[in-house]
Amino acid sequence: MNYFVKGNPDLCIGCRTCMIGCVVAHEGKRIFEVDPDSYDFNPRLHVVRTVRLSVPVQCKHCENPACMAVCPVGAISQKDHCVIIDQDKCMGCKSCMDACPFGAINMTERKGHIQADGTLKKTANKCDLCYGLPGGPACVRVCPTEALTLITEEDLETAMERKRAETARNTFKENHPQE
Amino acid sequence: MKKELGCFVVGDSTKCTGCRACELACFTVHNRESNHVGKTVGTVSVPVAPRLFLTKFEEGCMPIQCKHCEDAPCLNACTKGAISRIDHQVIVDAEKCIGCKDCMQACPFGAIALLPYAKDGKLVAQPMGEETKVFASKCDLCAGIEGGPACVRVCPHQALRLVDPEAEREEKNIKAAEALLLTKNWR
Repeated sequence: MNYFVKGNPDLCIGCRTCMIGCVVAHEGKRIFEVDPDSYDFNPRLHVVRTVRLSVPVQCKHCENPACMAVCPVGAISQKDHCVIIDQDKCMGCKSCMDACPFGAINMTERKGHIQADGTLKKTANKCDLCYGLPGGPACVRVCPTEALTLITEEDLETAMERKRAETARNTFKENHPQE
Repeated sequence: MKKELGCFVVGDSTKCTGCRACELACFTVHNRESNHVGKTVGTVSVPVAPRLFLTKFEEGCMPIQCKHCEDAPCLNACTKGAISRIDHQVIVDAEKCIGCKDCMQACPFGAIALLPYAKDGKLVAQPMGEETKVFASKCDLCAGIEGGPACVRVCPHQALRLVDPEAEREEKNIKAAEALLLTKNWR
């Protein structure tokens, strides 16, 4: 099963540190020293703020990804518990953006990649669970209120098993009130 | 908010009946001025050249049209510079197009067809030959046409939808955030 990062709206204070952590993880710490226009500030998760809540939203790494199904050039694949976009294959058709029900994909300019008309290419951008980076997803590590959690198959299974056992125990109590 | 991405129209095969009203409306609005096409069949003196293509497949049918890609393979493949991005949409200049078919081959959706080019109610001949000039016919999202994409407006079954990807992404983000409220005690 694919892993995913989940935000908790009760803990999130909307500080956007996760978004910066995400960019640092993918662009390197140099972003704090260099000219702000010289690198891509393209976070792969987005803090949503409404009157009721604030929480980051990112890719759920679906088991049957709609984005992967609609990609005409096979730029989206699943590997190592993760749904990944190959930005070199992507040609920015936005089909995945339309297909994703969470709005987890956006289109971002790629510095140094120029189209025939002289403008910058835009390609699909989404959470890759910090694929290949040591220490796992940066957003989880940097959140000051620990509002983000990496959820693995084991975590989900454990929770489901606990809930099933709880349900069974409660049902048993209901049926055998004296014991 | 400033528009940063090209919009596009998508078809819905669960609603489409294959009536081709979208193709006709597309042809009509693009040829009103240039070919004097009016509201009746009698005003049509040139071949019907739509910019979206009703496509039948095993399970049904739906119109297929341009996604106005952000790294557009057709634009990158056009050596003549006949395809440009205007106001975020990918637009073919029919006058400049030399019919080399590179864009057709580059497009992974099949959203481009080479169709006869007509002007002032007549087919345009090639400068040095008898054959009719052709042009790469693809969706321009009804640029400059009042009321927006004609296909969306005429479809009797609302099987076509104009997508503003950035605006829809933000709406979906909010829904996803609210769903997190419901699942916060998942453990």
